[in-house]
Amino acid sequence: MLEGLFGNPVIEKIFFTLLVYNESYALGLAKTFEEPVNKFQQQLKRLEEGGIIVSRLVGNMRIYTFNPRYPFLKELKTLVSKAYEFIPVKEKERYYRKRTRPRRAGKPL
Amino acid sequence: MKVDWKKIKIKDLAALVCRKLNEKDIDAVLVGGACVSIYTKNKYVSYDLDFVSHASLKNITEVLTELGFKRESTRHFVRDDCPYFIEFVAPPLSIGSERVEKEEKIKTRFGSITLLTPTDSVKDRLAAYYHWNDPQALEQAIMVAKAQKVKLSEIRKWSEKEGHKEKFDIFLKMLKA
Repeated sequence: MLEGLFGNPVIEKIFFTLLVYNESYALGLAKTFEEPVNKFQQQLKRLEEGGIIVSRLVGNMRIYTFNPRYPFLKELKTLVSKAYEFIPVKEKERYYRKRTRPRRAGKPL
Repeated sequence: MKVDWKKIKIKDLAALVCRKLNEKDIDAVLVGGACVSIYTKNKYVSYDLDFVSHASLKNITEVLTELGFKRESTRHFVRDDCPYFIEFVAPPLSIGSERVEKEEKIKTRFGSITLLTPTDSVKDRLAAYYHWNDPQALEQAIMVAKAQKVKLSEIRKWSEKEGHKEKFDIFLKMLKA
């Protein structure tokens, strides 16, 4: 949807994911969208270098979030939110409805 | 002027980089922890020099290469015998959602440094405290505000605009303690 603007289909997936879940990581994105992890790693790196997202290490995992200090964040989120409204329900359910509430370790799925 | 890269001071290195960039008509502004080091006369020690420039990284790299620095990753530069790490962070020059309107100039024997004003340096550090709860950034903001004349009313207004009035009050309380 925003591919024409961002020049890359991966970027909008990253933005929609960050918009919905607030944070994400390369392997998680790759598993969700069933695409190679390096595709996401490359674009996450590019966005981080551009100051649009930031990351922190949690254990061995690099977690990414929108950069709250990015001066155009409000405007970017408005654009991404608007585009998100146009995603078909089926696609939203498939990619953007993961359980985020806690689940005690050892509890059966 | 001969440069002792091992012992060079952060202020001199910043000036040298600014001067060399200016010679190629490239403007760059020093931001981040290096400003805190300079404004507190190294009470806080930073080994990172973060600059913001709208010039292309290709042109910046040419200048840094002349100074003996190697491009380590997309935006980082290092020199084996120099303890400092230079980064050109992505423009624009802003603090939160606010554009930086005014810059400071400091003269050194190596040339002039263009950097954030003390007031903007405090805001820059407070932004890290506001958004990431970074206690070190809060300490640095207090250090600059104690060492330099800063406009607290302007910082208060900016903090309110950023939605962090309560954290500004904590900063103010600690500053006056």
